[in-house]
Amino acid sequence: MNHLPLSRLFSLASRQLLRDARAGELRVLFFALLIAVAASTAIGYFSARLNDGMLMRATEFLAADLRLTGSSPNTAQQISQGKELGLDHAQLVEFSSVIASDTGIQLASVKAADSAYPLRGALKTAPDLYAAEAIGPGPKPGEAWAEARLFVALDLKPGDSIEVGAKTLRLTRVLTFLPDEAGDFYSLTPHLLMHLDDLAATGVVQPGSRVRYQELWRGEPEVLAQYRQRLTLEPNQRLEDAKDGNRQVGNALGRAERYLNLASLAAVLLAGVAVALSAARFAARRFDASALLRCLGLSRNQALALFSLQLAMLGVSASLIGALLGWLAQLTLFHLLQDLLPAQIPAGGLWPAFAGMATGLVALAGFALPPLAALGRVPPLRVLRRDMLPVPASSWLVYGAALFALGLIMWRLSLDLQLTFALLGGGLVTAFVLGGLLLLGLQSLRRLLAKASLPWRLGLSQLLRHPLAAAGQSLAFGLIILAMALIALLRGELLDTWQDQLPENAPNHFALNILPADQDAFAARLNALSPHPAPLFPVVPGRLVMINGEPVRQAVTKESQGERAIRRDLSLTWAADLPADNQLIAGSWWSDSNGSELPGVSVESELAESLQLQLGDRLSFSIGGLDREAVVTSLREVDWNNFQPNFYMIFQPGTLQDLPVTYLTSFYLPPNQEQQLVELSRAFPAVTLLQVEALLEQLRSILAQVTLAIEFVLLFVLAAGLAVLFAGLQATLDERIRQGALLRALGAERKLLIKARRAEFGLLGASSGLLAAVGCELISFLLYRFAFDLVWQPHPWLLLLPLIGALLVGTAGVMGTRRALNVSPLTVLREG
Amino acid sequence: MSSSILTARNLSKVVPSTEGELTILHDLSLELVSGDSLAIVGSSGSGKSTLLGLLAGLDLPSSGSVVLAGNDLTALDEDQRARVRAEHVGFVFQSFQLLDSLNALENVMLPLELEGHADARQRARALLERVGLGQRLTHYPRQLSGGEQQRVAIARAFAAEPAVLFADEPTGNLDSHTGERISDLLFELNKERGATLVLVTHDERLAHRCQRLIRLEGGHLVDQVEP
Repeated sequence: MNHLPLSRLFSLASRQLLRDARAGELRVLFFALLIAVAASTAIGYFSARLNDGMLMRATEFLAADLRLTGSSPNTAQQISQGKELGLDHAQLVEFSSVIASDTGIQLASVKAADSAYPLRGALKTAPDLYAAEAIGPGPKPGEAWAEARLFVALDLKPGDSIEVGAKTLRLTRVLTFLPDEAGDFYSLTPHLLMHLDDLAATGVVQPGSRVRYQELWRGEPEVLAQYRQRLTLEPNQRLEDAKDGNRQVGNALGRAERYLNLASLAAVLLAGVAVALSAARFAARRFDASALLRCLGLSRNQALALFSLQLAMLGVSASLIGALLGWLAQLTLFHLLQDLLPAQIPAGGLWPAFAGMATGLVALAGFALPPLAALGRVPPLRVLRRDMLPVPASSWLVYGAALFALGLIMWRLSLDLQLTFALLGGGLVTAFVLGGLLLLGLQSLRRLLAKASLPWRLGLSQLLRHPLAAAGQSLAFGLIILAMALIALLRGELLDTWQDQLPENAPNHFALNILPADQDAFAARLNALSPHPAPLFPVVPGRLVMINGEPVRQAVTKESQGERAIRRDLSLTWAADLPADNQLIAGSWWSDSNGSELPGVSVESELAESLQLQLGDRLSFSIGGLDREAVVTSLREVDWNNFQPNFYMIFQPGTLQDLPVTYLTSFYLPPNQEQQLVELSRAFPAVTLLQVEALLEQLRSILAQVTLAIEFVLLFVLAAGLAVLFAGLQATLDERIRQGALLRALGAERKLLIKARRAEFGLLGASSGLLAAVGCELISFLLYRFAFDLVWQPHPWLLLLPLIGALLVGTAGVMGTRRALNVSPLTVLREG
Repeated sequence: MSSSILTARNLSKVVPSTEGELTILHDLSLELVSGDSLAIVGSSGSGKSTLLGLLAGLDLPSSGSVVLAGNDLTALDEDQRARVRAEHVGFVFQSFQLLDSLNALENVMLPLELEGHADARQRARALLERVGLGQRLTHYPRQLSGGEQQRVAIARAFAAEPAVLFADEPTGNLDSHTGERISDLLFELNKERGATLVLVTHDERLAHRCQRLIRLEGGHLVDQVEP
């Protein structure tokens, strides 16, 4: 049989596969693969689509997918390039202008937008002050919408006329929400929205005036990427997408993305375990068949090819069906979540399905190789002597390759090398160290065995029979519990961290431009209104112009945070004490002498890094036409997510007092207290009150989505984990059935068998839980430290894992081996 | 005359098959008294093992009854039959059927422990010494030869001093020399302990060492020899 053509081998393999399938031989491997592929596909789709959905929400902060901003009109070529690519386009011009009415004048931030604005998110307006808001398209030519504070400042009502430059516009509605201004707390002036067609008539925008020209784009990610590539930016232009759009959302999204990636990785690991367990069984069950085929004249390679082909066919069909199931599962999931998610979520493409299938196939190839290789080495003599087992493989190499393949998949899925290494490395180190300890522990159990009662002895001896296999099994179950615990732990802590960012009574209003004369009265009024208002911070607007005598423009790179900070006035403040939520990371807070004649300034650490500032650097500011110098005496970390007034630069007290100053604070006002707000605003007409409720709502809704996603993903991982657990039990079922039948024949009652199983699996589960607890702490430490940037603390509740493991594996073990309990004792005669 | 220890009346066993129902045992009756030895012989598929399974209460007949040591097995559920087996029955199998996870001593202790004997260890040790394995108490089945494994199985079979010992091809997996010694041991112990022996075998020589012999063909009793 030296010339067995591939086609014959192929048909032989497929016929053999069908026979095996009919005999129920392939069930375990098939379902392990199916579940693995379905779980990774579903999670893949789910996280990819949810991520897209969340990004879409985040794009609302830009009112577009991509925003091109410049201080001069963007070139016709830049605009036509985008249009040629088929991107949707909206145009926006922003500037400051004095708004005049019969009663007075007020400086306002004016947006002149075409009818396409906004491309993402929606404008919200109300027909009257503090009336119910509605969603709709922007103002028509000849009309303007303004924020409530402009109405209050100029004592206007809807229907009144205002003048913007030379153009008279009718104020028709109260503007309550501009998607792309929600994050901009520090916009001092009220917003006015008008139609772009009226802009020329105002005559306000002249060469040299400070204007922001914006092109908004919306389209498919690939097309946007193409546009990004074609675009040549002028020095005064900037390109932003959702991730740059807003800091809070950016952080939340970043973590959510990493979390979902982690969940898919856990699913991949579980897939590997499931397939490894059942592939080993697949091979062991084929030792006889392999020996027989060798006897019948098949060469070693042909036998190997035959079984490889069988595995490949099995893998491909299980993967296809699994991917389809996974796709259907995520469809169902999105259907269930439809109220919470944006109306249209990108379909996700084919990539998650391919990734899911590749996951299954690579895991199958990787983990089935060692047992498959062993099949090729089954000596033909086994037909005569059944005790002849194949020569053990040099599995290290093959398993090494499998792990490498797994690492590759994980990396492909996550595009995050650090996360992959943390997970794979943490898992491996844990596996080796704890596996070794486990082995030692099991060996020492042997001594205790003699004194144990019969069920315990039966159960334990089963574990001790193959200590290596038991350690392996314990590791596998441990891995599952670890993955589930880790996901649960991160879910809890990520949510807590996010919730901490947005406590229920997070400040939802900012008060700006509080005059020094009003300072005490305003603070008193605020104390009566709001439980815990932030302190009043003095603010002096000033611009950083030089660092150590060098003009600051030369010191920073484009697109960096530093670049943004020096393009506009910074809110400078002074404080005697370090504000709450600020943490000193270098230098010291004010001391009497800082070694320089200049006053000290404390700089926010990220800005300092971006500007490459060191302690002792000399900073020059231009403040209201005057120059002031200060020396960097400390660097601070600032929690930008806390909705409190935060500052890049805090000066030593007594440095800026002589300059014109206003005060700034934030406070929480419970809902339905608009009247108080109106009264506050009337009592202090100069004060600008900003509502950030809308932004908070937007953030909360994103967090709600993420939370839900995380809970569902956890459910998937849990289901996959349980399925793997059962697959693992199946792998030892043959031996257990034989043993169960024999014990029954010898007169053992069912109760005894159940007790022995409980002892065995309970112990296995407890040791798995212990492994999981230790591994989980280790990996969570690494992840918190290197991937999530969270503060790590020990988790005492993880000590419950051994108990949970004992219960879970104990119950699943007894249930999963029910067949061995119910088997007729007659089978001992049949097996002879 | 001793009282009957094992009585089978009108035993039939019908199993479903692809071509409808298949009768693998036809209306078979027999009675054994204490100390009897019975060989069941016949070709493959003649129903020998089925009959052994029914007599030992490992399976239930489609019709008819089996009374073992005064217990009507057909009226008991599986756990109750297990108790009867623990108390009155011992087994020796063709493929030894030792528990791989237990060493020789523990394998022999097993039936004693199932019955709750406090001196299981001593009795098991004594039995293993009796079958010549006193030096191999802590060896695991995989460390023992086929003949040694069957000795352990025989020791286990007699450990709980069963009233009836069922042996299914006890020498089938052994070479003729070892098989000879194993059957000697089996009959010696049977004689010493006064158990009733029911033996299924292809081996005519072994069969003729029994007091009685029945021959099955296609599920029918075709021959009965009482030497």
